[in-house]
Amino acid sequence: MARADLQITRRQFLKAGAATGAGGAAAASGLGGTQAFAATSEDAWYRQGEIETTFNVCDMCPWHCGIIVHTVDGEVRKIDGNPNDPKARGQLCPRGQGGVSFMNDPDRLQAPMVRTGERGEGKFQEVSWEQALDLIAQELNKIKERSGPEALAVFGHNAGDWWWADHFAQAWGTPNAAKPSSALCVSPREEAAELTFGFPIGGYEPVDWANLETVVLIGTHIGEDARNTKMQDLAELHGRGGQIIVVDPRFSSAATKADHWLPIKPGTDTALLLAWMHVFIEEDIYNHRFIENWTTGFEQLAEHVADKTPEWAAEITDLSAEQIRESARAMADTAPQTVIVPGRHVSWYGNDTQRMRAVYMLNVVMGAYGCEGCLHFNEQPYLDDYSLPPYQVEGAAGGCAADPDDDDDGELLGELADGPTGKTRADGVQERFLRGPVALQELIEPMISGEPYRIEGLICYATNLLHSVPKTERTIEALKELELFVAIDVLPMEHIAYADIVLPEATYLERYDDLYALAHKTPYIALREPAVEPMYDTRPGWWIAKELGERVGLEQYFPWDDIEEYLNTRLRSVGSDLDDLRSRGGIIVQEGRPFFEDFEGESPFTTPSGKVELYCDRLAEHGQDPVPEFEPVEEPPEGFFRLLYGRHPVHTFAKTQNTPELADLYPENELWINVDAARDLGFADGDRVVLENQDGVTDGPIKLKATQRIRRDAVYMVHGFGHANPKLSQAYTKGASDNRLQSSYALDPICGAAGLRVNFVRLESEA
Amino acid sequence: MRSAFLLDLAQCIGCEACTIACRVGNELPQGVRYIQISERIRGEFPDLVGGFDNHRCYHCTDAACVNVCPSGALFQEDGLTRVNWDACTGCEYCVSSCPYDVPVMNDGVATKCDGCRDTVNAGGTPWCVETCPSDALQFGPREEIVAEAHRRVDRIRDKYPEAQVYGESQAGGLGVLVVSPEDPARMGLPAAPEVPTAAAVWQEAVKPASFFVTTLAAVGAGVLGVIARRNHLRELAHLHGDGGGEESGGEHGHGGGDGALPGGGDGPDPHGAAAAEGPGSADPVRTDDEVER
Repeated sequence: MARADLQITRRQFLKAGAATGAGGAAAASGLGGTQAFAATSEDAWYRQGEIETTFNVCDMCPWHCGIIVHTVDGEVRKIDGNPNDPKARGQLCPRGQGGVSFMNDPDRLQAPMVRTGERGEGKFQEVSWEQALDLIAQELNKIKERSGPEALAVFGHNAGDWWWADHFAQAWGTPNAAKPSSALCVSPREEAAELTFGFPIGGYEPVDWANLETVVLIGTHIGEDARNTKMQDLAELHGRGGQIIVVDPRFSSAATKADHWLPIKPGTDTALLLAWMHVFIEEDIYNHRFIENWTTGFEQLAEHVADKTPEWAAEITDLSAEQIRESARAMADTAPQTVIVPGRHVSWYGNDTQRMRAVYMLNVVMGAYGCEGCLHFNEQPYLDDYSLPPYQVEGAAGGCAADPDDDDDGELLGELADGPTGKTRADGVQERFLRGPVALQELIEPMISGEPYRIEGLICYATNLLHSVPKTERTIEALKELELFVAIDVLPMEHIAYADIVLPEATYLERYDDLYALAHKTPYIALREPAVEPMYDTRPGWWIAKELGERVGLEQYFPWDDIEEYLNTRLRSVGSDLDDLRSRGGIIVQEGRPFFEDFEGESPFTTPSGKVELYCDRLAEHGQDPVPEFEPVEEPPEGFFRLLYGRHPVHTFAKTQNTPELADLYPENELWINVDAARDLGFADGDRVVLENQDGVTDGPIKLKATQRIRRDAVYMVHGFGHANPKLSQAYTKGASDNRLQSSYALDPICGAAGLRVNFVRLESEA
Repeated sequence: MRSAFLLDLAQCIGCEACTIACRVGNELPQGVRYIQISERIRGEFPDLVGGFDNHRCYHCTDAACVNVCPSGALFQEDGLTRVNWDACTGCEYCVSSCPYDVPVMNDGVATKCDGCRDTVNAGGTPWCVETCPSDALQFGPREEIVAEAHRRVDRIRDKYPEAQVYGESQAGGLGVLVVSPEDPARMGLPAAPEVPTAAAVWQEAVKPASFFVTTLAAVGAGVLGVIARRNHLRELAHLHGDGGGEESGGEHGHGGGDGALPGGGDGPDPHGAAAAEGPGSADPVRTDDEVER
């Protein structure tokens, strides 16, 4: 019984259900085609009327699975994975299943509001869209006249952020547009790839799982990080007896499936990676052909790791030398069909670009790139942009993967784009760190200090400022300093209370968005269309951006009549339109060039040498290690534990804790602590404790999960809890916020990412 | 046709997509879950093993819940244990007799997984199976599922030497065939679940007076019971059939539920299997010693 068959069965079933609802009687074949139709359940949702099917891209996490939304009588009732979608493949994760509940959350923002109380008080008055947009336009123009367009920052996160952090920001003329998905997440990974391969590997880790034999996960906790495709891929590998190696201080869900679990001391991963490379080279089990054909700097690498023995790393990592050797040999056994997955949130310790380079280098030492069962090359699908006049400033936020400095001249430091009054990025790039997309957390300080110039206004689109940016007290101070703070969101997140004007957005199930043009083994285009009209007085982000753009003199950047015209225009470049896209199941899949053979002898690598640069001259020129070094990270002070954080499968970021269906399953986070460490402190499983960090910041109370599943030197909590806005009725005060306890961070000197695992907590009994 | 689920605990990664898909697809009331996932990991750091327990109705052939149900609310069809919520009198015998501790009370009515009876009869797939991203669930003809379970066990035996299929023989054969990566007892699955009979439960667990009243109500007043309960049953809107019993067709004779009501004419005899003496214990066998959360 193949999964595809089941999917077809489901679609037939839903049609049958619809027919029953409409016609009162129907027959449908059973699974085996033998059962008589016997259902009489007239109250079931799928018998309440015609089932309408719309295509969408899930927004319950940033993985962007294609989904099919079933609507009956104007109500969204059920969401399924789109079988045509290369990521969903007909399945859906728990968050995706919770989308109906997310949309129907009674705590949603329901109408535009203008602040009437002090910032932070949460007192607002509802106004019309007209009033709200006119007021924002008036204040934006004041900022532009007074200080230039660069004094406005634009933050954007998740689906829909293109309209703001990319399009609006560039049209308006500010280089200060940022996404948390860069410097608070993947930018070390992307910059390391730029330096090593010449291009970012892209937001969706390009691993040819179908032909993979061994996967190595370093901190990547698939299963708890419930990205649908990854769970399917890992399960498929496990089911056919593939090898799984997990490096994690915690016995994660993925570790329960592992052949080798390496409970590494946090912060020492680079030492392990160097020792693994040592074993490969020392034992001559590396891929000679790949090294000769596609790399430069192997000699320097070999010399560099010559003394990085497993015994050396064992001391550092708290693993045994034998374990390190054995796992390296296990990787070599199936190489090159062995991949160390690059992971996603990798801004851990401030030296993350170097660690990520080591990850890539080990993959390359095994030859695990550009062939079946290896890392593959990702390509964007072909799809024209809507034709627009040149932007006021090019390459603003640049998204997860792009580097706005990168002009392909091979120089490490490109020319920075200026705004219309000659000011460039205020995040300290090229001074405090070398390169990379705008570092969101570095735009907070200029709001307070005015250095290098003052950021006076902020448009914050769906970016959960007080649950993602470290140093929350500083963020609050900055928000209070702003002349204009506009927040666009679906839910009353904590930062909303500081906004001057709040604009309620329609959820992904109620709106169109730009087309999803996703880099993949088979690049593809996916449609988001509304299943229902927006609830309350909410509006789609694209509509808000256009209305505001037209009010601030940017009408030439919003020339489309409506979103359908915009989408149809773009789709025409691939010979399609909205109706055609729907008839194709919401997805257009194109051919990719995943493997070397697809490049017909040309090098796919775009570094200055045209090869994989194991030794990086460009880093050396700028005073950085040309080959990754292990740098020890600060140890927890006496009585403190390192604060680690991660995901729970039913939650995403700090976004879903209030979604009733998901909150019901996991209402509050717990503090994982080694059971012996807890006992030594006089605590037991289920106790409630308050946490105090190294800077005296406290949070909680939080329930203890005293477990064997974690090392003694670290504690762990699921990110995104401890919401302080009472308007979030489900999430308010539930659990603790890892973000509030991140009052320190380590700035990556290469890419400007904020390493967040440099905070420590101690436990106190709940008062 | 005898249907069955495949539940591959070697594959399950504990994500709970099934739990939510089931709740949303079946529109279950707040607080009711037909699938409960919990971790089942043992050992001492760093020597740990285990995985996730996917606790759900196992659809026994010799089903304690059906045996003891005095009202016919629980019945068997296609190898699965179904529920007619309208017929439940709230006696809770099923709750106390299930060896797997499955049925729960909601607003005075017992409820549990019914194998997505309606959706499957209409040609669909159970909601949990449809969404599972870990390839841990399948649904189909029982013999195919049994074969698939054995294929899977053979495939993983190198990695999990104790792997075995659970459910072929327990309680007369289960409607959920479990691929257990280790001794099923360690996954909370008893080798020999105790299946009490109605007679045993009624003698030992129920006071004679209330038994008399309940039985009367169940046998004599099915229709009244339905009317009295109809309002709160609206919450369980997903599956109760409240049309005329004579309309329910189907060769099994209880399509939708009214046919399963005592006195409905074509329902199963809920007491037929209960005449023999059974072990008579109403204690749930499942232990949670190793569950940490």
